[in-house]
Amino acid sequence: MDAPTRVLVADDEEDIRVLVGLAVRKAGCTVVASVADGAQALAAARAELPDLVVLDVSMPGLSGLEVCGALRGDPTTAGCRVLLLSAGASPDDVARGLTAGADAYLPKPFTVAGLVGQVRELAGAQR
Amino acid sequence: MPAALAGVALAGVAVLAARPGTPVLAVAAVVVLATVAELARRLHAQLTTVGDLVTQGRSTAEELEVATRMMRARAQTMTSVIDAVTEQSIIGTDRDGLVRVWNPGAERMLGLPRADVVRLRNIVEFHDPEELPPADGPAAARFATLVHDAEEHGSDVRDWTYLTADGRQLTVSVAITPRTDDDGEQAGWNFVGTDMTEVRATERLKDQFVSLISHELRTPLSSILGYLELVLDDDEQPLTDEQRQYLTTVERNAQRLLRLVGDLLFTAQVDAGKFTFQSADVDLAAVVRAAEETARVTAAARGVTVAVEVPDGGLVVRGDALRLGQACDNLVSNAVKFTPDGGSVALRLRPGRRDESGAVHEDDGPGTPVALLSVADTGIGIPAGEQGRLFTSFFRASTARRNAVPGVGLGLTITKAITTAHGGTLDVTSAEGRGTTFTLALPR
Repeated sequence: MDAPTRVLVADDEEDIRVLVGLAVRKAGCTVVASVADGAQALAAARAELPDLVVLDVSMPGLSGLEVCGALRGDPTTAGCRVLLLSAGASPDDVARGLTAGADAYLPKPFTVAGLVGQVRELAGAQR
Repeated sequence: MPAALAGVALAGVAVLAARPGTPVLAVAAVVVLATVAELARRLHAQLTTVGDLVTQGRSTAEELEVATRMMRARAQTMTSVIDAVTEQSIIGTDRDGLVRVWNPGAERMLGLPRADVVRLRNIVEFHDPEELPPADGPAAARFATLVHDAEEHGSDVRDWTYLTADGRQLTVSVAITPRTDDDGEQAGWNFVGTDMTEVRATERLKDQFVSLISHELRTPLSSILGYLELVLDDDEQPLTDEQRQYLTTVERNAQRLLRLVGDLLFTAQVDAGKFTFQSADVDLAAVVRAAEETARVTAAARGVTVAVEVPDGGLVVRGDALRLGQACDNLVSNAVKFTPDGGSVALRLRPGRRDESGAVHEDDGPGTPVALLSVADTGIGIPAGEQGRLFTSFFRASTARRNAVPGVGLGLTITKAITTAHGGTLDVTSAEGRGTTFTLALPR
């Protein structure tokens, strides 16, 4: 059996971070790090080299979009899958997220079932 | 006194002629005197003519003076009106943009006295160079850009950025119209400006505020709904029926709050002209059926029947499925909400056309093909006098308020905005106490 997918969670709202962590575990994956801002997310991604990064778009300092761009620009992390979570749900917001290099975009508020499904899908996907 | 002179001369001739003994001198004198008399007579005649002419001339001059006085009074009225305008800038230019009129409103707005501007400065010098062709190019090109639309359409109103004498930038709504001379020839341009700097700043602030609030409300709602879902769906620790009922109520209200936040954000986006959507083929029949399904439980609980009539093969339009679904849901949920218990709602979708005048028909005549959706209810109706305001944000019909039907007055605003963005129309017919029919027409 394959090792569980290693996931990094980044959201400045602790309650959301915990909720995302629960959903990730429900999807059968492991949370390798859970951080509260963009800079920590980038550092943790470089240290842990996770399979999947679940990123909130609006975080203090580096935004989720900037972190996503930086992950893609760094050869060591370019292979991570990225799921963006955001309160912005307009087609423009989604387009910006996908342009930044995200594999999927989930607007807030999301359902736990929807997030579990999305994480499972990305965990099974190869980049 | 020409008449008196001629009289004296003639009297002299008569006296001399009557005296004997001095024939040569007398004759000569008579001749001289007669000549003088004649001259005097002619002079008198001429002077009379001149006198008449002078009299005539005097009346013409009087007429001229009256006309001049009237003109001056009119000009004075115009000037006093223009000078009384202190909150709007009124700037008149010649055809090349050289300033000819500069009212106190312009003095106040731009901080320069009339004497420093009239016949000395071109209006383009008071415009933000960023909004006009490069300043190193010909001034004529910059002025031509400024008046281009007014030249094309007869007038033009839009926001421009004015630069004040002390270097401030003002957002000014400027109405540009051509100025004509006495012969009706174009003499130049009028620029009437209203300072909108504060208004526009307030509008921007409102947009930012709504976006911020929406974001700040959505984040805690994400937590509330997410954790509720975990509790409600936990198979290992099932809830009692009572616990489930309470938490379901919490969830329903959180969803309601979420919809309200979404509606507010959407209305703000529409107001700011930022509403965008992605177009695809959408089967309206499926959208209508889904809207009926959404309303079914609420309708059934109140004994309201919802009938659906859609073409078997569907009816496809170009648009955003999510937004069209929202528009349709709003109309159907409104129809159910405003219909008393035991009433009925009918959803009817069919092809139609829009004729040249913009009217929609159900037949196959000439015009643009449209999809027609009517949502008819047997509800409380909307008073005729209030129907024109139905699509205004936060407006609620008196019948809705009287009957305590819940709502905030955003649904129809949103439905109308979605319809308009799709190039469609939304019309209403209603009779108080008998019911309302909304008809949505979308190009297909």
